[in-house]
Amino acid sequence: MFFRMMNGALLRQKGKMLMIAFTIALGASLATAMLNVMLDVGDKINQELKTYGANINVVPKEASLLDDLYGVDERSGVSNKYLQESELGRIKTIFWAFNIVDFAPFLDTKVTLNGAVENVELAGTWFSHHLDLPTGESLDTGMINMKNWWDVSGDWITDAEEDSAMVGSLLAGRHQIAPGDVISVAGKNGQKTLTVKGVFNTGSDEDELIYVPLKVAQDLADRAGLVSRVEVSALTTPDNELSRRAAQNPKSLSIKEWETWYCTAYVSAISYQIQEVITDSVAKPIRQVAESEGAILEKTQLLMVLITILSLIGAALGISNLVTASVMERSREIGLLKAVGANDFPISMLVLTEILLMGLLGGVIGYFAGLGFAQIIGHSVFGSAIDIKPMVIPLVAVLVFLVTLAGSIPSIRFLLSLRPAEVLHGR
Amino acid sequence: MNLLELKEVSKIYGTLKALNNIDLSVPKGEWLAIMGPSGSGKTTMMNIVGCMDKPSNGSVILDGVDISKENPRSLTAIRRDKIGLIFQQFHLINYLTALENVMVAQYYHSLPDEKEAMQALERVGLAGRAKHLPSQLSGGEQQRVCIARALINYPMLILADEPTGNLDEANENIVLDIFRQLHREGSTIVVVTHDPEVAEEAERIVVLEHGKIARIEDNHRGEQEEG
Ligand SMILES: Nc1ncnc2c1ncn2[C@@H]1O[C@H](COP(=O)(O)OP(=O)(O)O)[C@@H](O)[C@H]1O
Ligand SMILES: [Mg+2]
Repeated sequence: MFFRMMNGALLRQKGKMLMIAFTIALGASLATAMLNVMLDVGDKINQELKTYGANINVVPKEASLLDDLYGVDERSGVSNKYLQESELGRIKTIFWAFNIVDFAPFLDTKVTLNGAVENVELAGTWFSHHLDLPTGESLDTGMINMKNWWDVSGDWITDAEEDSAMVGSLLAGRHQIAPGDVISVAGKNGQKTLTVKGVFNTGSDEDELIYVPLKVAQDLADRAGLVSRVEVSALTTPDNELSRRAAQNPKSLSIKEWETWYCTAYVSAISYQIQEVITDSVAKPIRQVAESEGAILEKTQLLMVLITILSLIGAALGISNLVTASVMERSREIGLLKAVGANDFPISMLVLTEILLMGLLGGVIGYFAGLGFAQIIGHSVFGSAIDIKPMVIPLVAVLVFLVTLAGSIPSIRFLLSLRPAEVLHGR
Repeated sequence: MNLLELKEVSKIYGTLKALNNIDLSVPKGEWLAIMGPSGSGKTTMMNIVGCMDKPSNGSVILDGVDISKENPRSLTAIRRDKIGLIFQQFHLINYLTALENVMVAQYYHSLPDEKEAMQALERVGLAGRAKHLPSQLSGGEQQRVCIARALINYPMLILADEPTGNLDEANENIVLDIFRQLHREGSTIVVVTHDPEVAEEAERIVVLEHGKIARIEDNHRGEQEEG
């Protein structure tokens, strides 16, 4: 009987009921899209921000000390302590290895260019270096990934092209070097002729540099197997009070706090773990970038939470209008049910079940539409797909349920206050 | 024994006394008609007796219970268990068949019982139209479905507010026949009507004017039939 009555009501008010389902679908789709994007956006924004460079700098302990004491730039050639190239793979074995997106080593040295008197800086690095890790995994890492925003005329070079170089735009401008030109560089340990494959423009002081494969710089500087620093790009968790205390002095934490900190992807924790695996190294967060990442992430998520809340409030208001109209249209019928002895509860249940059914229909449609929206947002804002998180399903279900219930409140109040005597005698 | 007793019952809307100090007793098994000009308080009285409204003053004793003191929830229960309501308009749920419309009252009373509902339709002569929707029934037939619905839970009191007001002569007679039958079976019936012919059928006629009982006429119908 219950279903027969509900069925009848649903069919008779098909238009209104579909409007209710549609309104719920709109709200649900926005909520689905926002939640999916929000849960995925941490990675997305971090990846986006990663293009602005590395967020951890690893240097030899001694160079770091000199740097701190005298403010001497380790690139100036004063420091003569180095890190071992052979240890670099260990960076991908730390607790937060998965969060290490890219890293590249640098060996900085001074050379003379084309026999001129003044020294220019030359850095050897990995462009896209294949690493086989002790864990059995392998990866390709280096400059091409890490500096993908560089404006390069000509081409990137590969690590195997040991007769090639890339030249910064300022240096290239001063010496009238263009892609395809041949230059000659002389270092401590001999001289080398290189073909310029690309000229890059970064807008930073890197535009004064010559980049060559690491091996070439090591030969020129007579520093086989050594590097002077490593830049690491890692996905990090925004700093909080704990991570700030840890960054100042990890020993000030209690054991429990220390464990929490160590097992969270704070930039300070990742730096600490890198220091643990690279002999005599100091890993320092490049702080401003790391902090702004967290701030932007939090703001973006706040914005999405607000949009979700607003859209759900909108949906609730929309359905409350529609449902109230539907119940008012049926006030004679509801009055009759009361007159033949129906209590408020079963009548409310009848109406609520109808609306929740519409909520279910709208919620399912909205969920799938929302997955579509999420991908559109992913592609237009982040240029990549959004990972679909299954945990969004129960979240959206609960939200739709609450919104539908909230939207039904005015109509239920109307229904409760409806007096059969007033609707049954056609006054 | 009185099934229904109104004692000093008033219903006041602002300054208007829709009912003004009504005293009335209805013995079990009586067929009572209420007449009076429009606006004299007939419907107001039916609503109070039918547990759909409460008097401003006075008490209404139905089957030993003062319904003017009950809360809405128990009023609903009393209405469901003891009263059968028939209105001038037919008030059927238009997406349910005649049979289902009768069963709705069973559903909220106890359990829908298709056989019993079918018997109720048979009593009002509509067994053949059980599967029809209200829109497929004539006015008279719709009112008979309403009567079947009012009777389905064996009410001790049948309240009908102008049940024949929207019916033609032929249908009016069918409805009156049903009432006569119910009366013979011992039901207590209160009928509001404008129609003297309908009122004639009752044992007593209460005439309301301006919310007061103007007079009560005894109908010695038995004697008239003999004469
Ligand atoms: N809910 C109400 N509010 C205000 N006045 C009402 C209400 N119900 C009835 N009345 C007034 O009470 C009087 C009696 O009405 P009613 O009982 O419907 O008369 P009848 O059924 O005899 O025509 C009328 O004057 C009517 O306008
Ligand atoms: Mg009336």
